[in-house]
Amino acid sequence: MIKERPVAAPREAAIIAVAFAGLWFAPLVLGEYWLQLGFRTLIYLALAEGWNLMAGSAGLVSLGTSCFVGVGAYVAYGFLNGFSLPLPVALIASAVAGAAVAAVVSPALFRLRGLYFTVGTLALAELLRLLMINVSAFGGASGIFLKSDPPPLPILFHYALVVALIAALALTLCVRTRASVIFRSVRDDEDAAAQMGVRSYRVKLAAFSLASALAAMAGAVQAVKLGAIEPYGMFGLQWSIDVLTMVIIGGMGMRLGPLVGALFVIALGETLADYPEAHIAIAGVILIVLIRVAPRGIAGLASSLRIAASKRAPA
Amino acid sequence: MRKIIQVKCSLAAALIAASLSAGAASAADEIVIGASLPLSGPLAGFGSFQQWGYKRAVDEVNKAGGITVDGQKRPVKLIIRDDKTDPNQTAANTETLISRDHVVAMLGSCTPVLVNAGALVADRAKKPLVTGCDPLEAFKSVRKWNYVWDIFFDEPDLANAELKAVEESGAKTNKKLAIWHDNGPDGQVVGGKLWPEVAKSFGYEVVQNAEFPVDNQQFTSIIGEAKSKGADVVLVDAITPQAVAIRKQMAAAGYTPKVLNIEKGAEPVQFAEALGKLSDGVLVGGYWDPSFPYPDAADLAKAFESETKLSSSQHIADSYAAVQVLLDAIAAAGSTDPEKINAALAKTDKTYVVGPVKFDENHTAKLPIVALQWQGGKTVIVWPKSAKAGEFLFPLP
Amino acid sequence: MPDPGVALSTIASGVLLGGMLALAALGLSIVLGVMRLVNLAHGDFLLVGAYAGLFFFEVTGVDPLIGLPVIGLLIAALAIPLYRFLLQPLAERGAEAQMMTMFAVAIILENAFVLAFSADTRSIAVSYAALPLTLGVVTIPLVYVIGFAISVVAILIVHWLVSRTAFGRDLRAAAVDPEAAATIGVDVKRVRMLTFALGAACAGVGGTLIGTAFQFTPASGGAYLLNSLAIVVLGGLGNVIGTLFGGLALGALQSLGGLALGDGYRDLVGMALFLIVLAFRPEGFARGQA
Repeated sequence: MIKERPVAAPREAAIIAVAFAGLWFAPLVLGEYWLQLGFRTLIYLALAEGWNLMAGSAGLVSLGTSCFVGVGAYVAYGFLNGFSLPLPVALIASAVAGAAVAAVVSPALFRLRGLYFTVGTLALAELLRLLMINVSAFGGASGIFLKSDPPPLPILFHYALVVALIAALALTLCVRTRASVIFRSVRDDEDAAAQMGVRSYRVKLAAFSLASALAAMAGAVQAVKLGAIEPYGMFGLQWSIDVLTMVIIGGMGMRLGPLVGALFVIALGETLADYPEAHIAIAGVILIVLIRVAPRGIAGLASSLRIAASKRAPA
Repeated sequence: MRKIIQVKCSLAAALIAASLSAGAASAADEIVIGASLPLSGPLAGFGSFQQWGYKRAVDEVNKAGGITVDGQKRPVKLIIRDDKTDPNQTAANTETLISRDHVVAMLGSCTPVLVNAGALVADRAKKPLVTGCDPLEAFKSVRKWNYVWDIFFDEPDLANAELKAVEESGAKTNKKLAIWHDNGPDGQVVGGKLWPEVAKSFGYEVVQNAEFPVDNQQFTSIIGEAKSKGADVVLVDAITPQAVAIRKQMAAAGYTPKVLNIEKGAEPVQFAEALGKLSDGVLVGGYWDPSFPYPDAADLAKAFESETKLSSSQHIADSYAAVQVLLDAIAAAGSTDPEKINAALAKTDKTYVVGPVKFDENHTAKLPIVALQWQGGKTVIVWPKSAKAGEFLFPLP
Repeated sequence: MPDPGVALSTIASGVLLGGMLALAALGLSIVLGVMRLVNLAHGDFLLVGAYAGLFFFEVTGVDPLIGLPVIGLLIAALAIPLYRFLLQPLAERGAEAQMMTMFAVAIILENAFVLAFSADTRSIAVSYAALPLTLGVVTIPLVYVIGFAISVVAILIVHWLVSRTAFGRDLRAAAVDPEAAATIGVDVKRVRMLTFALGAACAGVGGTLIGTAFQFTPASGGAYLLNSLAIVVLGGLGNVIGTLFGGLALGALQSLGGLALGDGYRDLVGMALFLIVLAFRPEGFARGQA
């Protein structure tokens, strides 16, 4: 395990708060294109942080992100269309819904360990997608439309910023405080942890619910921006795969992994999209090379380079 | 050493930022239009037809020197992005094209879900978007569009065409009808609502109405039920992979109704190629055929087949026409101002390769439907009488 | 209430189809059992077999079902360098690295299919591909019966390989405890490589069968991956005969679900069943190795 210089929780939280406060003013400075890229990066960042929380901290490798993104999207539309409530309320409802779904499925899912858990989350995501397509009460394959127009981009950017901020702070809480010891004990050896008195089920549930709530909120904000949702777009497996790609490329278990991964995936996607003929294959090749060359992701690569550099002659 | 690494990292970051902002750098005098198409993923088949149609129309205009705008003849630049059959990506692509590449107008994607995703972005950004590949009722049901224009067929016409063809040919059936449709937007409209009404109005008894997901593979019980109820007429609405599966599985189940109509999926030539003789007799509604008496119709299909060495589909015509409509509007406006282009689009009134195009107050231009039937690997127009090119093959062989 | 003939035909077709899918799923099962690898490119390996069969048929005119052994060997031969250069170097790292590498392979394959064969819908149109077989009140597609027979034969061959040969013994040892196996002289690296090749061959052959009975496009892989996962879990990871029964069970239950709720619910029933089995008995129902 690469040793990172430990950063105390309050200091890290402060850094995050300052960074996000600075970003708050981005709409005043950035052009529309950069703001849109920033929005997408923030949504992805929230998803990746949540995933990292589950996997890096509690050992739950999930392919079910799409399930919660979709739940958040549909619940948000339900509240906005049905009850005409303001967006923050709809977001909170989505978060609660995401956590609730996680809580409902965890008795079944947590019976599964390791590989089986991963496969189980994949099945869950697919099951929900198939259900949404078949049940016409939720619009079926045609989906549903947002009745009112979405707010303008700067406001949506702020919402994405808030969601990403919550995600970042949540991860700091789990990784930098004493809670991190408990999480890691469950990740490394659940049975031994249980022997030591750690209530591993509750720990896993906490991580899973939190990650799911974050994914749901991210899905809700994305859905509001789109203005129209349907099962293939909001429950599609591309969400689960994209998150995993980000975390692997960024560096699993590295604190900056999600951020680096999100930035890289968005940037790569944008650059390659200008070459529509072979961009998918190129993305695949880049992914394979990166996985080979950077076992701990880009953040890990940077970290080991820095350590190697500091071990040599003084700068 | 540290500094070198830091410098390297900063250089890398700067490079990425530069490549992002440069994007598809456009010359100052080019008229830039953009499109997001499904070039990969399940709808890649549609996307490739549209891409060809879009590109060809732009190439032809550029060969003739471009469009006169603000008194100067300028070339047109078309930027196409792949949305991987993901509406999130269609929206993202449309945003990039508008905010980074500063397109003056957009062209649409394919199928209502993807078209909607891009159209919502364009409408909000007040950029004109011309699209095909989006049935009119599905298009109208989203909202009252201000900047988005649709050239395609109307679902009620499609629902009527086949039964009218059967009735007018005088063919005798037991008037028992089965409906199988996917649960995509137009599948639900055509199969769930329109066909039952039309069937009743023609005096048919709807003995079965089955719905299945767009990517369904197994149709055994649907086919079995229709067979046991003895339906002579089967109306299907599904995309090509499912259309091929249905025809194959029907034969394998020993069920041959007298009339088989497969909307959407049976239209492209690949349907007949995948099925061989099994495609004979299958009816499909089409909004375009190379035999139509419109400018360049026959040439278009020939050009497609000789260039790509693939079999063609009506979607090459719709996309080709959409670009021409848009470029004609830009020329008529003589400006790249979105409002002026939009106003010019509203005044469109000309005959293109798909027929006469004129937009109504809902921003739709209707393409009339003909009933086509596969006979010996080729489509033959069997209805309406005015366009009829061959005899209606009955019953299904 | 559906007609009894329809119901029986549907269930029979489902069972036969399940048997065919079992062969494809077998590839996933042994790879999962021995290497703990969730092969996200599994569906695309299936398509390699389907496209290979199509190509074979169009070029030679010979029924691809006769050429199945050739197709299987070809795909195995392609899988070996894939494993050697892409997966083996990652063997010590977590499961995610290998999984994502296979995902990358999947998208590269999909892009390759589009470039080589276009995105058009394809079907291997052999003469018997759409003939019915009627036995009394039951009507089933003839090609399902043929495919089922071939599938069962192939599964039995693999079963013999795994339970009666030295290679099979090494495979089982490496699956249960790689470190212990290494100490008793099993070349774990080689075993894994050959297992991956065998898995790919099974997927490919299964894919050719499916290409004959159904149709496919470059994007068809994903759906088959999920079906295969369900069958693997039902049958037990790495359990060869169990996979066959898993396929039969899934086929029967999907058909029942389709009869009761409508064909649209087939996949949903499959997934629900999958989750239930995972929740209560992740090791599957059949008893067996790995």
